[in-house]
Amino acid sequence: MFNFHYRLERNAMGLVLAIVVVASIGGLIEIAPLFTIDETVEDAPDMRVYTPLELAGRNIYIREGCYACHSQMIRTLRDEVERYGPYSLAVESKYDHPMLWGSKRTGPDIARLGGKYSNEWHVAHLYNPRDLVPESKMPAYRWLMRNSLKIGDLGEHLAAMRAVGVPYTDEMIANATADAYGQANPDSTQAAGVTARYGEATNVSLFDGKPETLTEMDAIVAYLQILGRLTDVAHKTEQASVE
Amino acid sequence: MIQGTWIIQRGGVGMVALLTALERTYAAIILVFVICVGVAMAVAGRGDLMAAHGWIVALFGMVVMAVLLRGIDAPEPWEERFREYYDDPTKVGIILALIWGVIGMFVGVWVAALLAWPDLTFDAAWASFGRLRPVHTSGVIFGFGGNALIATSFHVLQRTTRARLPDQLSPWFVLIGYNLFCVLAATGYLMGLTQSKEYAEPEWYADLWLVIVWVVYFLIYIRTLARRREPHIYVANWYYMAFILVVAILHIVNNLAVPVSIGHAKSYSLFSGVQDAMTQWWYGHNAVAFFLTAGFLGMLYYYLPKRAGRPIYSYRMSIISFWGITFMYMWAGSHHLHYTALPHWVQTLGMVFSLVLLVPSWASAGNALLTLNGAWHKVRDDAVLRFMMLAAIFYGIATFEGSFMAIRAVNSLSHYTDWTVGHVHAGALGWVAMITFGSLYALVPWMWKRPALYSARLVELHFWLALAGTVVYVFAMWNSGITQGLMWRTYDQNGTLAYSFIDTLVAMHPYYIARTVGGLLFLAGAVVAFYNIWMTISRPAPVDEGAAADLPVEPPAPRAWAQAGE
Amino acid sequence: MSFDHDTVTGFAKSFGLFYLIAMSIGVIVYAYWPANRKQFDHAAHSIISDDEDRPCP
Repeated sequence: MFNFHYRLERNAMGLVLAIVVVASIGGLIEIAPLFTIDETVEDAPDMRVYTPLELAGRNIYIREGCYACHSQMIRTLRDEVERYGPYSLAVESKYDHPMLWGSKRTGPDIARLGGKYSNEWHVAHLYNPRDLVPESKMPAYRWLMRNSLKIGDLGEHLAAMRAVGVPYTDEMIANATADAYGQANPDSTQAAGVTARYGEATNVSLFDGKPETLTEMDAIVAYLQILGRLTDVAHKTEQASVE
Repeated sequence: MIQGTWIIQRGGVGMVALLTALERTYAAIILVFVICVGVAMAVAGRGDLMAAHGWIVALFGMVVMAVLLRGIDAPEPWEERFREYYDDPTKVGIILALIWGVIGMFVGVWVAALLAWPDLTFDAAWASFGRLRPVHTSGVIFGFGGNALIATSFHVLQRTTRARLPDQLSPWFVLIGYNLFCVLAATGYLMGLTQSKEYAEPEWYADLWLVIVWVVYFLIYIRTLARRREPHIYVANWYYMAFILVVAILHIVNNLAVPVSIGHAKSYSLFSGVQDAMTQWWYGHNAVAFFLTAGFLGMLYYYLPKRAGRPIYSYRMSIISFWGITFMYMWAGSHHLHYTALPHWVQTLGMVFSLVLLVPSWASAGNALLTLNGAWHKVRDDAVLRFMMLAAIFYGIATFEGSFMAIRAVNSLSHYTDWTVGHVHAGALGWVAMITFGSLYALVPWMWKRPALYSARLVELHFWLALAGTVVYVFAMWNSGITQGLMWRTYDQNGTLAYSFIDTLVAMHPYYIARTVGGLLFLAGAVVAFYNIWMTISRPAPVDEGAAADLPVEPPAPRAWAQAGE
Repeated sequence: MSFDHDTVTGFAKSFGLFYLIAMSIGVIVYAYWPANRKQFDHAAHSIISDDEDRPCP
């Protein structure tokens, strides 16, 4: 009786093991080599990390589900390169936790959106896309203008990003809240610290046009203006032939 | 409706009464623990959205506790229960699946309408496309599909092993715990909590909770199999097991993340960039494979032969396709990343395996259709069986289309367009929903010991609504996807791109309206199904208990349609 | 042995193929092994037998 039961149990566990082994080897073989990929990926010594304000904007982009309609991945196809710019390189999203490559273009790709339009254009477009593009299907994100941005805990966000491998310094983490404020208020005393820590090229600007308050609109526009501009390696390197 | 409330109350107390006193005590302890965790989350997450989720967890725990307390004093259940299968969780799971189905499909129609008329957001953040879309996807995949899988798996597992579930508490833990996960997911999206990983959006604490639920689910399976009275494990259980095991692997790996703090809902994914993309689509594609395919093939391999009264055409073929699917799907995920920054060899590998995958997929679809060969008169007369047949056909179509779209050249046209959306819905509406409705229609009269469904005509109506809705939807998306893909790459005689992006979006408008209509038809069908099943349940059971026990296992052929067909 | 990118991908590409072939042969042998025929036939018929809907005692 004991033997009978034992045999049955062993068969069931055998099935379990077989399923796990058969299924996981496929994923393992395909994914494991990608973790040694750093050796083959392009080098981008000039690449900088997201500022606290841009990271906050990126989190709003995620929160609102923008990735459901906008890709950030230009494929190696001729028409895409002509429409959107140089095709995306792996290194460009190496600080993207998680990546936002997207899977659907109900709206256009925005991998190289940064610098293409003015801050005023973005604010007006997010406030009501149909004011600028009458045929647009994009929702009107008016609440971004109403909501003040939560910046008190940005240091913790940076620390978490550092825990997953993004090279934020102690100084960046300690000053995260002040830097977020400074980047959106060029006339404030905090503004100088932002360029000191993140580079002279950092976009310090009155993103939403209102100096007195820091809104979610400031953050999302700061993020949209950095898209594709953390490094210009894609513009510098000779691009292989596109199909 | 009053009658319905009465049924819920009586059902709730009756179901609690079937638990032993010890099981009721354990249930109370677990619920107290859940409520405490909810309150702790609310305290730790002050000033963060996590606090809202903490209160939702606590409230959820209290509602379940209230149901438990109503029957806590019931006498100890009699020993006779061991002579019956334990079907209460299956019954509740069926109802939950239908409720989630109607909610998820309703939100689906809403997001479809938003693409045609974007101002339906009404300036409310929670009602915007980006937040509602995951409510739709999770609502139908996890809410509708997941609950149906859990409910049917408990039923199939017991019948094929001829053993009762090992205890009465753990199935409830799995079913109710899983629905807590679904509630956290859906409410989280509305508030803006998402990891942004498609079909894995819920944040870290919901993911951890699902791991616990899933381990218990697996243990139920293993413990029941260990008690089985049939030497051979029927193939449907293989599929359910693959569903449980591989979803666990996928879920854990893809959701590895570091939370900002214990009091923050937000977390940052462990992987970044190209590794994150590959992990995500390894997950995404295999969620399709092991959640939406393997699990529902388990349903197909039990309910279709059972309803048709014929054994599966080739049992050997079902084994070969099982291992083929288990093995090959895992390699195919990279076809979601053609022409991207993913290394070329990984893209090629994904393409090759996607093509080979057609063999086990069509073996399954063919096996199902050949099982019906010789019983076409039943398919003609019985809309329930016709749901299952249509599911097998759509499974064949969708898997062929999937392999086709994985070819790099085809993918360059189809990717990022509505063709992908159309393909997913050919699978989701045509295959997953059809096999689910077919199986639930078969299962409901057995579970509630009714001679037949409330109305065979309504099943017939649902069948045609579902088929029409699917066809309208899929054709609209094929048209819009291929049109847009071609417009994106069209050059004029000067060698410059002929259409601006907005030109291509304008061309989509009629298809977006057609898609909304298709979705509305399908939703109407689901509402009809809900009404029909609800009426079947709430209609009083046959008076003569002795006669009820003598009822055939197979419900008689629906008479109304037989007449109409003549 | 060093775990650089080329080694790992090389192993993945070659081993994957052998694994696929071995696994396919194993499954087909199992499915068509004559001694298994009886239990497969029994399993296929077991779910539609008209036993009463109760667990075995």
